Amino acid sequence: MTVRANVGGTFASRLFLVAALLVTMLCPARGQKYEGRELVQAKLLADVTAVVPGKPFTVGLLLHMVPNWHTYWKFPGDAGIPTEIKWKLPDGWKVGEIQWPIPLKLDEPGDIQIYGYHDEVLLLQEMTPPASLKDSTVQLAAEASWLVCEKICIPGNANLKLDLPVAAQSTASNEEIFSRYRRSLPQDWPAAGIARATWQRQATELRLTVESAALANYPAADFFPVPEANVVVGHPKVERGAGGQTIFQVPIETADKNLAALNGIVVFGQNANGPGRNAWALESTPVIASTAVLPGNLARFLLFGFIGGFILNLMPCVLPVISLKIFGFIQHAGQDRRRILRSGLAFVAGIFAWFIGLALLLIALKSAGREITWAFQFTNPYFVVLMSAVVLVFALNLFGVFEISLPQFANRGVLGWTAQEGDAGSFFQGVFATVLATPCTAPFLGTALGFAFTQSGWTILLMFLAIAAGMASPYLLLSAQPAWLRLVPKPGPWMLRVKQLMGFLLLATLLFLLAVLGAERGVEAIVWTSCFLLALSVACWMKGAFIVPTASSGSRFVSIGLMLLLVLGSAWYFIGGKFAAAKTVSAETQTQGGWQPFTPQLLENELKQGHAVFVDFTAAWCLTCKFNEANVLEAGAVREAFERHGITKIKADWTNADPAITKILKQFGRPGVPMYVLYPGNHAEPILFPELLTQNLILEKLETVSPNVAVK
Amino acid sequence: MKTKLFATLLTIAASTALIAADSPAVGTTAPDFSLTDSKGKTQTVSQYKGKYVVLEWFNPECPFVKKHYGSGNMQKLQEEFTAKGVVWLSIDSSAPGLEGNLTAEQANAKMTEWKTKQTAFVLDPDGKAGRSYGAKNTPHMFVINPEGKIVYEGAIDSKATPNPSDIANSTNYVKVALEESLAGKTVSNANTKPYGCSVKYK
Repeated sequence: MTVRANVGGTFASRLFLVAALLVTMLCPARGQKYEGRELVQAKLLADVTAVVPGKPFTVGLLLHMVPNWHTYWKFPGDAGIPTEIKWKLPDGWKVGEIQWPIPLKLDEPGDIQIYGYHDEVLLLQEMTPPASLKDSTVQLAAEASWLVCEKICIPGNANLKLDLPVAAQSTASNEEIFSRYRRSLPQDWPAAGIARATWQRQATELRLTVESAALANYPAADFFPVPEANVVVGHPKVERGAGGQTIFQVPIETADKNLAALNGIVVFGQNANGPGRNAWALESTPVIASTAVLPGNLARFLLFGFIGGFILNLMPCVLPVISLKIFGFIQHAGQDRRRILRSGLAFVAGIFAWFIGLALLLIALKSAGREITWAFQFTNPYFVVLMSAVVLVFALNLFGVFEISLPQFANRGVLGWTAQEGDAGSFFQGVFATVLATPCTAPFLGTALGFAFTQSGWTILLMFLAIAAGMASPYLLLSAQPAWLRLVPKPGPWMLRVKQLMGFLLLATLLFLLAVLGAERGVEAIVWTSCFLLALSVACWMKGAFIVPTASSGSRFVSIGLMLLLVLGSAWYFIGGKFAAAKTVSAETQTQGGWQPFTPQLLENELKQGHAVFVDFTAAWCLTCKFNEANVLEAGAVREAFERHGITKIKADWTNADPAITKILKQFGRPGVPMYVLYPGNHAEPILFPELLTQNLILEKLETVSPNVAVK
Repeated sequence: MKTKLFATLLTIAASTALIAADSPAVGTTAPDFSLTDSKGKTQTVSQYKGKYVVLEWFNPECPFVKKHYGSGNMQKLQEEFTAKGVVWLSIDSSAPGLEGNLTAEQANAKMTEWKTKQTAFVLDPDGKAGRSYGAKNTPHMFVINPEGKIVYEGAIDSKATPNPSDIANSTNYVKVALEESLAGKTVSNANTKPYGCSVKYK
């Protein structure tokens, strides 16, 4: 290592530096000898003269190869293996990934293509010492191993040490070599205005199209892939297209049909293989630094699923239906125990049926290679229309406008959840409660489902069963132990009033669903849906008024015909025609309160400039999201803190299942919204918040963002 | 002098634009060749129709080959599967003057020294067989089924290092492919990235 006079250092530390230098010289790196020559000389360098506690610096492994011999890049190509560095660091130290300079592409006879380095290379890594560092000196030790080849290949390794003093401040060291190799590192992918990359899969070939006038101007362009370990790629071919397009074709030799993109670098310059080249790093995902799915064993996640399922009962979107069930229990209190148990079991079966059905659907979609997420059904406006209709019909039923009867049970009289609750009614209540529950991703469920979605079909099924069991557990308990129902009031005429009150709760749910539709499709969509709902209400009234056992079969026939005509006709006209024509609301019109609408480019640009960014992943149908926004994100103290720290606020609206947003949700291992991410700026690791926010939680994390880096 | 000659050779080889040779895909018919083995017998792929055939690209100087022979790993595989009727051909495609090129006598001596158990040691000094298979590494492994179709192509195992101590903790892809094939199953992992030294073609 080169030692520069450290003016600020003490005499002792200077003395130490000299000693360290001597030690380094006395223990030369051991490489390997071939025909009397040392093929590779290895040593460690630091870009600072001293370690400052808590302050990151860069170390480099310098490899000197004898002429014509080469070591390998992180993807070696058809032969060879990449150089490896295993650090033995003191406690509390952190080391970053190896930053590899742009390699040479070398051709060998037999159409063998490799990526590597001739003569010299410096492999850079960021080192972060602990802030609590107390020692006066530190020793960083590493074992480096490599394969060096010319006509033949020889593996080599060396145990290397780097001694550095610890000081309150440090100056730059080895500047020339570090800046030279930093310049030859691939850069982050540029803004969309400069280069846009798209991947296409065509049978056994992946095709990368880069639209960039800047790139098109260079005589040489190439793509160096960095495939995952289980992917075998052939040699990329380059083609120049019209309008600044450069197309790279990469043959994929492995059978993985879902592979849709590769990591790699796009290399360009005056020459294909000489010095002075530049490169852009292409990550197959648009955002840097994703956090991995939390590790953990299945049992723990199943427990989370169970707890999460239980909490679903308390979610605002489920409450109206749940109250109906509790009402049912009140009604049956004191009745035959077996009957109560049967009705409870039917309700529970409904919950399970929905979750199993959902799990099977998700597994099917997943195996078909679709992006799947929790509550995905609510991103479909027709599903929301259907839900609105169902909610309204049930509300009218509770108001007593009509009674629900199923023909096959006609001899048993009226069914539904009125006077005589049947098993079928209980079953559908269970299904209904669960359908309404899904848009609220309860705490715990996020983590548990995030885990499940990355797993096999069986795990997904098990996970959904755990959630169903959690949600069903209180009813199972109440059905099995009806004695506990003694605590609730005795049945009486007050029940009719409560029933009607529940009807209004359902109407409130209907308002929420209409608001969702409005966010998805605009005001027009609400109007046309309401027209349809009005026609539906009239049909329900006709059912209650004219289709009664006392009516003659002729008038019943006419009534049924009119009802069908009304429902189908209005559905066809208002939903099939008017509603379908209503336009999707564009996100740009929704900027308010300093929130910018999400685009991948916006996020990328902000992060590239080192800004701190907070992203709110939300959806119109997500009540937990609305709650967090109203009570935390828009609260005075939080707003003020966002402003003070100069944080860019981005709102990622997932109401219409924007695939770019889905991708980021998946990167963080989350199956759906809400999700809150704080990028602290200066390329630091993003911070993920839990689903339920508190003001303190946000304020605390914001303190970690230093205001000076975030000034816009 | 030697380096200069080699550099010239390299340049000539590169400028004569070798035919691009990606390995034939798994599931396609294995290319045939007709070469002499170290015992002077003619070896072809077609003569073994009805049997499983393993092709192993070999270079005795390559550290990755040494990893599997020095540890006895390759010999054990050869012994196990030739006993089950599998034909095992080790192929040396190193060109004369380059690393790993062996004459018939040198090959026989190496086989005795390393106690190898393959069916035959095939000499391919002009690299014809190697190129037709797109063999890029030593060891680069192929498994051919009795119908003459390639059922496995790629690495010998899952740990791409020259370190023999990694063998114990790695999955031997060739062993798995042969076991699955012999049990009448399709090979679960039929294509992996081969690792090792480059084949020393002219």
